[in-house]
Amino acid sequence: MEKSLFRFIWRFSARQQLFILLVTVFSYPISYVLLELPKLIVNDAVQGDSFPREVFGFEFDQISYLVLLCVGFLGLVVASNGLKLYLNVYKGRLGERMLRRLRFELFQRVLRFRLPHFRKISSGEIIPMITSEVEDVGGFIGEAIALPAYQGGMLVVQLGFIFMQDPLLGLAAISSYPIQGYIIPKLQRRVVVLSRERVKNIRVIADKVGESITGVPEIHANDTAAWHSSDISDRLYQNFRIRYEIFNRKYFIKFLNNFMNQLTPFFFYLIGGYLVIQGDLSIGALLAVIAAYKDLAGPWKELLSYYQMVSDVDVKYQTVVENFDPVDIYPVERLTSEEAVSLEGDLELKNVSFSGGAAGQELFDATLKIKEGSTCAIVGPDGSGRTEILQLAAGLVSPVSGRVEIGGQDLEKLAAATLGRQIAYVGGAVHIWTGTIRDNLFYGLRHRPTAEIEREGDDLVEYKRRLSEANFTKNLILDLDAPWNDLEAAGVRDDKALNARAMELLKTVGLEPDVYRLGLQSRLDPTLNDTFADRILAVRQALATRIAEDPKLSGLTELWQVDHFNNSASLAENLFFAVPSDADMRMDEVSAIPEVRVFLAEQKLDKKLQDIGQKIAETMVELFANVSGDSGLLGTYSFITQEELPDYERIIRLAKSASAKPGLADEDKMKLIRLALKMVPARHRLGVLDDEMRKEMIEARQTFLKEVVDKSPDFEAIDPKVYLPSLTIEDNLLFGRARVDRRDARQRIDEVIRSMVEENGLREPIVYAGFDYHVGVSGSRLSASQRRRLAVVRALLKNARVTILDDIATGLGEDDKKARAVLRELLSGRTLIFGASSATVGDEFEQKIVLDQGRIVEERES
Amino acid sequence: MSLETEVEALRKVPLFRGIDETKLRLLAFISDRMEFQEGERLCTQGEEGDSAFIILQGSADVLVQTPDGERKVADVKENSIVGEIAILCDVPRTATLIAASNMDVLTVSKDDFLKLLKEFPDISLEVMRTLALRLERTTRDLAAARSGAVD
Repeated sequence: MEKSLFRFIWRFSARQQLFILLVTVFSYPISYVLLELPKLIVNDAVQGDSFPREVFGFEFDQISYLVLLCVGFLGLVVASNGLKLYLNVYKGRLGERMLRRLRFELFQRVLRFRLPHFRKISSGEIIPMITSEVEDVGGFIGEAIALPAYQGGMLVVQLGFIFMQDPLLGLAAISSYPIQGYIIPKLQRRVVVLSRERVKNIRVIADKVGESITGVPEIHANDTAAWHSSDISDRLYQNFRIRYEIFNRKYFIKFLNNFMNQLTPFFFYLIGGYLVIQGDLSIGALLAVIAAYKDLAGPWKELLSYYQMVSDVDVKYQTVVENFDPVDIYPVERLTSEEAVSLEGDLELKNVSFSGGAAGQELFDATLKIKEGSTCAIVGPDGSGRTEILQLAAGLVSPVSGRVEIGGQDLEKLAAATLGRQIAYVGGAVHIWTGTIRDNLFYGLRHRPTAEIEREGDDLVEYKRRLSEANFTKNLILDLDAPWNDLEAAGVRDDKALNARAMELLKTVGLEPDVYRLGLQSRLDPTLNDTFADRILAVRQALATRIAEDPKLSGLTELWQVDHFNNSASLAENLFFAVPSDADMRMDEVSAIPEVRVFLAEQKLDKKLQDIGQKIAETMVELFANVSGDSGLLGTYSFITQEELPDYERIIRLAKSASAKPGLADEDKMKLIRLALKMVPARHRLGVLDDEMRKEMIEARQTFLKEVVDKSPDFEAIDPKVYLPSLTIEDNLLFGRARVDRRDARQRIDEVIRSMVEENGLREPIVYAGFDYHVGVSGSRLSASQRRRLAVVRALLKNARVTILDDIATGLGEDDKKARAVLRELLSGRTLIFGASSATVGDEFEQKIVLDQGRIVEERES
Repeated sequence: MSLETEVEALRKVPLFRGIDETKLRLLAFISDRMEFQEGERLCTQGEEGDSAFIILQGSADVLVQTPDGERKVADVKENSIVGEIAILCDVPRTATLIAASNMDVLTVSKDDFLKLLKEFPDISLEVMRTLALRLERTTRDLAAARSGAVD
């Protein structure tokens, strides 16, 4: 990479920089005339005589001459400001483009680092480099050349003028320059050093904060919060100290400049005054020189602040870029090359040595051969070199000496397009990407877009724009919206077959039941697949019939019926008989929607709900007033938390004191209403709901349906014949509630649902629905074992010639043994290299290689 | 039935006789109200007990395992508490309970009952008194049985 910022700027934006300079210079005469014209207007048009005047062959009397000049002035104002606007936008755009290029280059370099390099750097340091640290560079690039050139030119012109008036005065004008030129860089150099320190310090802080977040359970488990806090506090002090010193110097430089600039007139008055008195200089010339000097101060100031900015931005650029140039970085072709060779043949390690930089990460002079299509176990405990040998075979790391070959091809020389597609590797620590299960399943097939999308209209225009921008900045121009899944590599014809293949593999690794459960809990967009929704509705119907026929089941459930109150559901659900379209919205939050408030007020329900809420709050306060906060009783059983209790106490006091003038605030009323809406009669049994009220709520449903649900997109009515997308698939299947007052009702009814799902062949679509389950940040919503199995399916889907599994299903139990047999069966005819720590596991494979302390100690040929 | 009626019923349970009303209301509130239909099992001998049952309505048969299969040894009726041994000490259920009619039952989970005891020591005292009485009676019965056996 370009080591200096200016080289980077010049290399990638020389033409644009010159253009900016040209426009800047061109704008100078306009601003000049703009300054001169008012004088002309006052002196010539307003106070002048000898009218009419002739301009361009037209005759003008005084008024129309004034109008002409003023219109000309207006035109110049527009032109000059328009030009400024254009130039600013142009500079900004150039800066952003260069910034994009720089950031992209940096990111791509990160991808080109060799794996061992990542032991030395942390994401906490890299992230701020790519994001915030280079930010200032973008703002600077537009000014990089034009500003010094233009302001320097101005300075020279003004100086020339002064020198022409009198060389001595000229010398006086620049008398402070040598001093400034000597002192300021010295001071600035120290500022540069300090800025470097500051940047590095901030990086360490970012890194420490990131580490604290990842390791937060350890911090709590070891009571080390104080230690970490002190550490950060200390770094922050360092930061303060550095900044304070920078400020000191920066403002001292400023002070010095201002002082020097104001000192120079002193010489003017002294020397110029002397010259005038002596008669060597006219008074007019002295005044002109003083005026010119005032104009000189502007460019000089600009140049000095430019100088400070350059040194600041340049140091930032260098401190970033120096981290992205490790000597052993992969050539860019390794990432970008499309050339894929077929990895046919035996895998061979020839006198391979490797060192990861620490003991236990080494391999000494390993030579081995694994026949194509055979299975081989690499056996050895952690630190024996097992992981290293497997990563070498996958082409993930490079040997220090020796060669790793497949069919005679040196892996070191192959591009990722070959290695990443024809070798599947799952290591001990798998990474699951933030996204859906589907994203993760098919991740190993996303090498390049497999087709182009037909675009038209605005979409095409926007796409072309995106392309041209990418071209400007040497970014990749692959289409993110195009299909990326490499169906051919997976050995399937279409997406449907790919799904089926994934399902089959999920079954073989035993992940399918998990995905099924996730599927039941997930929400389905029926617009994507309307037959599925219909089938669910059919099961719902059948389930309802079965429940109606079987008295045992009907005793366990309360289904939604529009003319019946559901005691196992909350008052909110009972009253509104609709669910919010936004699945993340809680039912009691609904009351805050304006339409709902209007409805409650119109139906005169708000007062009644408020009364119910008040009664609930009274009971809660009475029951729990004497219970200590740490008993946990309140949290489990009440719908009020310990913290809220005093607040409700206050509300009740207010509500009861009839004399109190202000009464309950709106907010308090809302709180009571929400409390009432949260109540589930069968669970809470507070006896605050009479039959009259129940009847009233059932009647209100109809009005709510008409007045609110039909008009608002915020709600979906509960209707036995409609699929409700905001409910989970499971809730859609059982159209009601398991009774809360029957023992194990939920589990028992779940079993019935499961069996009906199986009978109706719905299991498969539900598993597919589970494909869209979001796995959380880095798969945090999956268990460790689920994550590993998912990674295995991902690797198997790649259908690679060589599959390398490290520390996967290596247990001695029956389950793992079976899993290994299944894996061998699945991959028969292809090369499988299996890393395990136990020698007995190794016996199951055709070939076994045992490692100890980085050396091959035992080998059984196939 | 609401909290108030449950409290009425709880008051009739000997164990809770001396306890004031607000605490009974709290007990009722933190319990789960369950309905059991005739023939349904409340608990099974040998499994781990995690709750006690307070019968509000109906009755249940108490069965124990014998070599000849399950045999009814007693029945429990309205206003009595069963299964409290399991929630006070960690022993498996000593008998099976089967609803003899449709029942209304309050179930108190072990954790909550213990929390309640900790929170209100007078309930603990009452529980202790009742258990001591029961122990005294059992001892007397045992003595009588032994002397009967000697005869």
